[in-house]
Amino acid sequence: MGKFKEVFLKNTWYENPVFVLVLGICSTLAVTNNLKNTFIMTIGVMLVTGFSNLTVSLLKNLIPSKVRMITQVLIISFYVIIVDIILKAYLPDVSKALGPYVGLIITNCIIMGRAEAFAQSNPPLISFWDGITSGFGYMIVLVTIAFFRELLGFGTIFGYKVMPGNFVNWTIMIMPPSAFFMLALFIWIVKGFKKEGAK
Amino acid sequence: MKENKIYTIIFTFIISFVFVLILSIINSITYDKVLENQNFSKIRAILNSMGIEYKDEKDAIKIFNSKIDQIEIEGLKFYTTTINGEKIYSYIFSGSGLWGTITGVISVNENVDKIIGIDIISQNETPGLGGRIEEDWFKNQFKEEHVKDKIKIKVSGVSTDFNKENSSVDAITGATLTSRFFINIINDSLEKIRNALRSE
Repeated sequence: MGKFKEVFLKNTWYENPVFVLVLGICSTLAVTNNLKNTFIMTIGVMLVTGFSNLTVSLLKNLIPSKVRMITQVLIISFYVIIVDIILKAYLPDVSKALGPYVGLIITNCIIMGRAEAFAQSNPPLISFWDGITSGFGYMIVLVTIAFFRELLGFGTIFGYKVMPGNFVNWTIMIMPPSAFFMLALFIWIVKGFKKEGAK
Repeated sequence: MKENKIYTIIFTFIISFVFVLILSIINSITYDKVLENQNFSKIRAILNSMGIEYKDEKDAIKIFNSKIDQIEIEGLKFYTTTINGEKIYSYIFSGSGLWGTITGVISVNENVDKIIGIDIISQNETPGLGGRIEEDWFKNQFKEEHVKDKIKIKVSGVSTDFNKENSSVDAITGATLTSRFFINIINDSLEKIRNALRSE
């Protein structure tokens, strides 16, 4: 059980894919101006990372090293297409709102990174857990950023108006540049905490 | 064995085959559902653009089947209905946005000098930026808007354009290009509809 806890802490805090390893930045910048889209997209990433890790780990003894990476990409895109099909069939509105971003989950470096760094050399169950928790670490950061961007940019949370009527929306918060400084602020604050902890 | 060339080829072939096979099975299972969703989103968009209210999916399909006719004028397909004595024509438009095709419905009155409403069926614009063309505040700007010749777009405004006489709507902040492309599609459609209805 200790290993599962260790993996969890590593993936969400000590080696968080976004604020420590600085992976998956493109999507952090792109989708975080809307909480609902961010939430569904990150759930997608979590599932894809988990299941592709599981599959890579199950097949690792069979995969020839020459086609290792291409096989990983195949597995990842397989799960992404499944997520896409499921959204199209059962959550058409969400699928519409996310547009091309579901397909772009394939390009998320975290998924490939976990498959290569963890699943290739670990047993299936722990690999699955590693994928899910990495996705979760990614989700925490994106949801936090999206929370502030949507709150200040639109005055809403999950589409519900929460700011008073006379609140003037900070238009910059819904535009891509704000994601850059929100992410930088986030990394700065978290690293500050980490240093405190180290002392 | 694992590094053998033949093994590598066979492995690659088998794994691709298996995964693609599973995907095609899943795809064929959900195919009808996806088609149904697409059909419903078309019906919903037509009703929304005409300003017809409905309760749920079944209700929408019922209203669509009973009240709306399909006709063809000058090679253009129209959906028509009469509301409060006014004949409304809906046309499904399709054109290129910033990142991909935008498909939607525009409804106009008989003289094509007033837009009854618009709705989007599908689009691939950036979520949260250009993707906001699907949001109500943007679409509502077109509702009951009078058009003399073309719809213009305002980029500098801070609030939504409520004036229904000025043939102009506000762009989406941060998505000026998508807004421009969209207005071009609307203007092209208006032109096409005008030509078709006038020649009748």
